[in-house]
Amino acid sequence: MALISVEHLVFAYESDGPAILDGLSFEIEAGERLAILGGNGSGKSTLAQWIAGWLPRGTHKAAAGSVLVQGRPWSEVPVRERTELVQFVGQLPMQQLSGFAFTVWDEVVFGPGNLALPAEEVRRRAEEVIAICHLDHLRDRDPFSLSGGEQQRLSIAAALAMKPQALVLDEPTGNFDPESRDALLTQMAGLPRDLTTIWCDVALLPPMALATRFLLLDEGRIVLDGDAATLLAHPRTREIFGLPAVAEAALQLREQGLLPAEGPLPATLEQALPLFGGLAVEGHR
Amino acid sequence: MAVARRAAPGHALLYVPGDGFLYRLNPLTKLTLVLWVAVAAFMLPTAGTWAIALFAFVTGVLAGAGKVFARRLLFTLAPLAVALFVVHGLLVDHGGRETWGPLDISHDGLAYMVRIIGRIAALLSGSLVFVTTTHPARLLKALDSHGFSPGLAYVIASPLLLLEPFSARARAIREAQAARGLDLDGNIPARLRAFPALLMPLVTLALADIDHRAQVLDGRGFRACPRRTVLDAPADSDGQKWFRRLLIATIPLVIAGRLLWL
Amino acid sequence: MKLETRTLVLIAAAIVINVVVGQLAVWVKLPLYVDAIGTVLVAILAGPWAGAITGILTNLIWGLISDPVAAAFFPVSLVIGLVAGFLARLGWFRSIGMTVAAGVVIGILSTIVAVPIIVYMFGGVTGAGTDFATAYLLAVGQELINSVAVANLGTNLVDKIVTCVIAWIIVKRLPQRFSSGFAFFGYSKAQ
Repeated sequence: MALISVEHLVFAYESDGPAILDGLSFEIEAGERLAILGGNGSGKSTLAQWIAGWLPRGTHKAAAGSVLVQGRPWSEVPVRERTELVQFVGQLPMQQLSGFAFTVWDEVVFGPGNLALPAEEVRRRAEEVIAICHLDHLRDRDPFSLSGGEQQRLSIAAALAMKPQALVLDEPTGNFDPESRDALLTQMAGLPRDLTTIWCDVALLPPMALATRFLLLDEGRIVLDGDAATLLAHPRTREIFGLPAVAEAALQLREQGLLPAEGPLPATLEQALPLFGGLAVEGHR
Repeated sequence: MAVARRAAPGHALLYVPGDGFLYRLNPLTKLTLVLWVAVAAFMLPTAGTWAIALFAFVTGVLAGAGKVFARRLLFTLAPLAVALFVVHGLLVDHGGRETWGPLDISHDGLAYMVRIIGRIAALLSGSLVFVTTTHPARLLKALDSHGFSPGLAYVIASPLLLLEPFSARARAIREAQAARGLDLDGNIPARLRAFPALLMPLVTLALADIDHRAQVLDGRGFRACPRRTVLDAPADSDGQKWFRRLLIATIPLVIAGRLLWL
Repeated sequence: MKLETRTLVLIAAAIVINVVVGQLAVWVKLPLYVDAIGTVLVAILAGPWAGAITGILTNLIWGLISDPVAAAFFPVSLVIGLVAGFLARLGWFRSIGMTVAAGVVIGILSTIVAVPIIVYMFGGVTGAGTDFATAYLLAVGQELINSVAVANLGTNLVDKIVTCVIAWIIVKRLPQRFSSGFAFFGYSKAQ
C-alpha cells in the first residue's frame, strides 16, 4: 500500500472560485524522494498541504476525489497519529516557530514533549536532530534571534523530532542567498535514508540535487511524472523554469545540429562532459 | 491603561540575570508570595505596607536588581506622590488642616497620601522581586510541570517572544514612513492622520500567518495529549510546597485581622 | 472551555498588537491610550471570552515587561473584551455607526470599572494628564469619585471610540479566507 495516495483530487479554496487542483492522481511510496515543481499559481503549495494533512481543514474540503494516507483519508486519522506520519516545513522561517520556546533546545523538545513521551526519549530525539541539522552551537539561543537560514534548519529539526514517515518541504530555500541554500542542501543530504521526502519548489536546481522522481504541475494538473532526464526534456520545463546552464547549452547545440537529437539532456557538468568532449566547432560569427 | 506610562517599554524583560537564593526558588513559590503581598498591601496599616516595601526593596538590591527597582519605583511613585499631595494634601476635604506659608495643608490628607504610596510601593516592590528574579521561560516550565493549561501557557509565552521582533518592525515602518514625508511632530489632527499609516502595516503583519502558525502547532501535537513531558522543570521541594500552602492559609487570617481591628 | 488553536494564535497576535500599538501612540504623542485594539479585534472575531482573555493577558504581560502596577487595571481590559464580544454578538459591529455607539458603551463601562481602582488603589490619581482635570473639578467643589469619573470619562470615551473604529476597519479589510475561519465573526458581517 502506498504511503500517500492522491485520487482524482479537485480542490478550490472558495466554493465558486477556480479549481486550484484540477483532478490530480498519483501515489507516493515509502522511502521515495519526490520533487513537485511548478511555477507560481500552479497549485504546488496547496498540493503540499494536502499531502501533509493540513488540508482538508475547517470549511476547506475537496470538491472531488481524496487524499489517502496509508489507505485512510486524513479526516479519519487522529491528531496524534498525524504528527508521526507527515510533517510540513513551509517557506517563511519565522512562521514555522512554535512561539512557545525561548531557546532552540526548547523548540526542538516542544513537539516530542507534547506527545507525552518519556523524558529520556525526548532528550534522545532532540540530541539526534540537533546533530543532523548542525544546531549544537545554537542550543541556548532565542529562536527569534536566529538568521533565516538557521530558523529554517531549526524548523526542519523540530519536524524531524516528531519522527515522521514523510517530510514535506514547501520552497524551503525560498528567501535564501546561494550560500545559505547550499548549507541547507548539505543538511538535507544528511536526512535519514528511509525518510520519504517531498520537496515542492519553483526553482529547478535545489530539488534536482536530492530527488529521484519529479512531478511537474501546471495550472493544477500534472504535466509530467518521471525522472530528471524526462523532466529536462519536457518543453514546459524550459518555459517555466529555464533549464540549468549545461542542459540549455546542450539543447542549443542540439538545435544547431552539433549534438545528436536523441538522448537525455545533461543536468550536471559531469553528465555533460562526455557529450561536449567530442565537439568540433568551426570559427563562429 | 489608565496609569501613565512615562516612556515606552524597552521590551527587554524586567528580568535581571542572576544566581542567588531567590533565583533558585520555584517560580510558583514566588508567585504565591506576590499574591500574599498583594493582599497584605491592602489589608495592613501604613506601617506594615512600608515595611513590606522596604524589605522587598532591600531584597531586590541584594539580588542585584537595585537599578531596576530604583528606576521603576521612581517613575511610578514620583508623579503619583505629586498628584496625591495636590489632591489629598490640598484639595480634598480631609481634616487636621494647617497653614504652611501660602498653602492650606491637611494632615489627614498627607497621612492618606503616605498610606497610598506605601501600598503601591509594597505592591510594586513585591511584584518586582518576582519579575526581576524569574525568567518567563522558567515560570512557564514551572506551571507546565504542575499541570497548567498549555493553551494558556502558549498565550503568555508567544507574545513575550514576538514582542521584540515586532517592535523592530514597528521601528522600521516608522522610519520608512518618516522618510516618505509622514509628519510625526505636527499638530494633533496631523498626528491622528499619520497614525493609521503606521498602524495598518503592523496589524496586517501580525495577522498574516495565523492560520499557518496554528497548523504548525497542531502538526507538532500541541494539546494532542492530556499531559506533556517537561524537561528541566524548575526544582520544587516539599518545603516549598508547604510554605506555599501556609502562605495561602494566612491570607484569610490577614483579611479577618484587618476587618476586626479597624 | 477549550479554544481552537487558531484562536489562541489570534489572541497571542492581538496581545502583541495591543502592546506595540499602545507604544506607537506614545511615539506619535497621541493623547490616547489605544492599547485595546487587539482586544476588540479578538472580541469581534472570536467572542467575548476570547476578548476578555486577550485583555487580561495584555495587562499581565505589560506587568512583566514594563510596569507591574499597570497590571492592576486588568479588570478594565476584561470588561472591554467582554462587552465588545457581547455587542458583536448583537451585531453592533456591522456598520460604522453602530461601531461608534459600541465605542461609547465600552468607554462608559470601562470608566465605571476603572474609577474604583483609581480611587481605592491609587487614591484617585493616575499620574497622568487626567489628574489636572481631577484637581480642577475638586477645586470647584466636586466629590473625589465624581471628579475622577468625569476627568477620565472624556479621554476614555474618545479612546474607546477610536479603538472600536480602528478595529472595525481592520476587520473589514481582512481577506475573506481569513475571517471565514472564525465562526463568531458571522455576527458582524454586513447584512
